Formats: sequence, structure tokens, C-alpha cells
Amino acid sequence: MSEVSLLEVAGLGKRFPSRDGRSDARWVIQNLSFSVRDGEFVTVIGPSGSGKSTLLNMIAQTDAPSAGTISFKGAPVSNGDGAGLRPGLDCQIGYVFQDDTLLPWRTTIDNVLFPLEAQGRLDAHGRERAAALMDAVGLTGFERYYPHELSGGMRKRAALIRTLVYDPPIILMDEPFGALDAQTRVQLQEDLLRLWEAGRKTIIFITHDIAEAIALGDRALVLSRAPTHIIGEHHIDIPRPRNLRDIYAAPQFASLYEAIRAQVQ
Amino acid sequence: MTRWQSIIDKALVIAAVLALWQWGSMTAGAYWVPAPWPVVLALWDMMRTGEIFRHAGYTLQASLWGFLLGGIPGMALPFVLRRLPRLEAILDPFLVGGYGLPKLALAPLFILWFGIGIESKIALVTSVVFFLVYFNTAAGVRAIDPRLLLMSRVIGAGELRIATQVIWPSAVPFIFAGFRVSTPYAIGGAVIAELISSNRGLGYLVQLGAMNFKTSQVFAAILAITLIVIGANAVVNGIERRLLRWRPSSKTAGTTASGGM
Ligand SMILES: Nc1ncnc2c1ncn2[C@@H]1O[C@H](COP(=O)(O)OP(=O)(O)O)[C@@H](O)[C@H]1O
Ligand SMILES: [Mg+2]
Repeated sequence: MSEVSLLEVAGLGKRFPSRDGRSDARWVIQNLSFSVRDGEFVTVIGPSGSGKSTLLNMIAQTDAPSAGTISFKGAPVSNGDGAGLRPGLDCQIGYVFQDDTLLPWRTTIDNVLFPLEAQGRLDAHGRERAAALMDAVGLTGFERYYPHELSGGMRKRAALIRTLVYDPPIILMDEPFGALDAQTRVQLQEDLLRLWEAGRKTIIFITHDIAEAIALGDRALVLSRAPTHIIGEHHIDIPRPRNLRDIYAAPQFASLYEAIRAQVQ
Repeated sequence: MTRWQSIIDKALVIAAVLALWQWGSMTAGAYWVPAPWPVVLALWDMMRTGEIFRHAGYTLQASLWGFLLGGIPGMALPFVLRRLPRLEAILDPFLVGGYGLPKLALAPLFILWFGIGIESKIALVTSVVFFLVYFNTAAGVRAIDPRLLLMSRVIGAGELRIATQVIWPSAVPFIFAGFRVSTPYAIGGAVIAELISSNRGLGYLVQLGAMNFKTSQVFAAILAITLIVIGANAVVNGIERRLLRWRPSSKTAGTTASGGM
């Protein structure tokens, strides 16, 4: 892993106009800074409503910051107003949204192939890659199913590999496994780590689950309540490959858990 | 409910309507309300001579052209205006006004402009269908899940692809709600234009029958119009079902704009 930071967030702020339009705009995020190295798996923990999705939206450039800068490979990518937003930064930033964003009128495989199609890169190699990913997450046999015919966990898997299929250098994931039962969740976490270890993408993974943040990440960032900034940073030195089903048994787990829990209000 | 049960239920309703019709004919007098059987015979007669097909063909032609000339721009305009919010703001009051305008009042004007040929019928149908399809499609375009748009942009989809592969499929139920409402109006509009002034078409047939006091011919023509509307509706529904095969159940989108004649 190189020490160059791939993504740098500096002094980031976001405010939304208040509902009534009279009182001052409310800062949801203020003075938030961190950087992410190439190939790093960063988890971000924060209470609900602390602006986690808002943060990812700004990094993915689907929303403009009100203050601060975001740099990708050393070059600033946001200019403060919403005009020059480039969602996904020319397919360099993948984004697995918090809720299900599969196209309901496309079958599973056509959903997974959608990015390649949109980028004009759909060829035999792309189809092979999609099939391999479908297989890796246990979706083989469900290619022709529509999203409403899949379980919640399968839809999450499909959304995940739809982003992996076009191989963006950075992947943002917004509480992707939040609404799943414990069993499915561990399976998906295992799938994700396996795929990540094979490809070594850079991942920013939002969660509100401390154990998940420890289990998956190289580093966990803890967010404060709004106006949100970073109040804790924890290096997770549990060696990989990790056994997610027994992550609680790792000797480092208890102290990390305690330290993070003390910061998550 | 089984398929058979539904067929039996419908047959019962038809029988009840026929009985009511027969009873009405007997009470009012066959001169004013001809009984079902003579009407069917009159229709059969006109089918044998081919007369009804000539007139129905004319009416259908006017309806279809009007449907296409009104429906295609009505369907396309919301996709264009989505990209041009300023133009949309300018056009909106005019579109609302056009929608609210009773199109029947335009019929004499269209005849003045386009003559008593098929053009004036097409113009009337176009003016009715356009607004119905436009407002339904616009509602469908607005109803798109914004997260699907964001997702599409993030994965690198261009605006044309987003319009055709994301917004269009999501708006199909709304667009077809517009088509479904428009279908009877398209045919009805053509018929009414023919009633006002024409020497062909089912509307003309109704008018002619009434002038000659041949009520069974009037009823036969109306029956033919009804059958055509039912058939056209079935075609529209069939196309919609094909396009919406991905949907869990056959629920249909609420109609957002209707009427307008
Ligand atoms: N488009 C918006 N307009 C106004 N307020 C918003 C908008 N998006 C998010 N917010 C507010 O910002 C705060 C953080 O939201 P969000 O980023 O979704 O939090 P989290 O993902 O951490 O649960 C919430 O209080 C929410 O009401
Ligand atoms: Mg969120």
C-alpha cells in the first residue's frame, strides 16, 4: 500500500436551508477532515442523522459542499457551488446507496450490466466479469429475475456487484447491510471482504454498527453529532484474512469496541 | 375469482343490460328506442353491404392520425421540457389553458380552417389527445425516483440514456394512463366532428339515421362505435401489459388527467 492519499477531505462543511426559510441555515457537517490511502478500507461510524449520507453524497459529487474541499489524487474536485458537479467523477467513484437503487424493470443481470452498457464498455469480457461476480455473491441462477422477485439480501448483493463490475478506484458504501438479518449480513460482509482482498479497491464504508466497523475496516472514523466532524480515529490491527463469525474473539476487539463506544454518543 | 367466474359475471351483466334495453324499448316504443335485436340486424345489414366498414374505417383513420399527431408530441414534450425548466415555466400556463379549453368548441373553427374533410377531424382529435397525454406523461416524468437518477449519473449514464432507459420505463404506467383516457376521446372526438359536418364516418351515419328517423341505424352506429372503443382499449392495454411485464402485479397508475372535451 502506498502512503499517497487518494482522497482528501479538508474543512468540509454542509448546511441545508432551514424549513421555514427564516432562521439561519443549519450546519449538518462542519470542519470535517480526513484522508484515505489507496487501497484502504475505511469505516465511518456515526449516530443516525449525523450527516453520513450527506458526506458520501458530497464525495460522490451528487451534492455540493457548502465549505471546504475534496481532492482526488491531489486535485480538488469540488468548487463549492453545485454547477460543476460531476457525479461519480467520471466513473472513478462508485457509490452503493443506502437504499435499493436497482432499476425495477431490469432483470438482475441487466442491472449489473447497466454501468458497462452506459459507459459503452459492454463486451464479452464485461459479461464474463459480471457472471463471475454474480457467482461470487451467490446470484447465479437469478440472472433473469426482476428485483421484486429477489430477497432484500440478494438485492443488496446485486447493487454491490453493479458497482464492482466497472471497477471504480474508490467505492463508497452507505450502510449497505443495515437492514439485513444477522446471518445474511455476515455472509455479505464475507463476500465483500473476499472481493476487496482480491481487488484492493479503496472503500469508504458507512455503518452505525461498531462491531461491523471493526470487523471490516483498516481504520475506523467516528463522527460526532451534528454539526458533524471527526472525533475519533482507530487503527484496526486485526490481521487479515479475518474470521468475521468470530471477530469478537480477536484479542484487539474488546478494547477497540470500548474505545469507539465511548466516542459514539 | 376464477377466470370462468369472471366470464359468467360479465355475461350476467350483459344479459341484464339487454333485458333493461328491451324493457326500455317496450315502454318508450320501438320507434324511439329500437329493441336490441333489430339493432343487431341493422348492424348486420350494414356489415353485409360493407357500408359500416367504410364509415368505421374513415372514423378510425381520423382517430388514429389524431392519436398519433397528438400523442407522440404530448409524450415527447415532457422529456424535452425536463431539460429546459425556463421554457417549461413559460409554457405551463398555456398548456394548462389548452387543457382546460373545451375542445368541442373548437370544432367549428377547425372546420373553417381545414374544411369538412378528414383534416378537421384529425385536428380536433389531436387537440384533445395532446393535452391528455402531455399532462399524464409530465406527471410520470416528475414521479421518477430521484435516487435512480443520481445512481444513473454516478455510474456514468448520459442524459439521453437516462431519458430512454430510466425515466421512460418509470413513466410508462403514467403515459399509458394518458393513452387509456385518450382512446375513447380520440374516437369520440372524430365521431363528434363527423356529426357536425361530414359525409362519411360513423358520426355521419348517426346523423343520417337521425335525420331519416331510422333509430335502429343510429343505435347500430353507436353500437359499432362502442365496439371500436372497446377494441382500441384492448389494444392499448395489451401494449401496456407487454411493456410492464416486469411489474409484480397488474396494478395501473392512477389517472392524473382526464376529460378535456
Ligand atoms: N436535502 C436535504 N435538505 C435538508 N436537510 C437535509 C437534506 N439531506 C439531509 N438533510 C439533513 O441532514 C441531516 C443528516 O442527514 P443524513 O446525511 O441523511 O444523515 P445520516 O445518513 O447520518 O443518517 C439530517 O438532519 C437531515 O434532516
Ligand atoms: Mg444515511
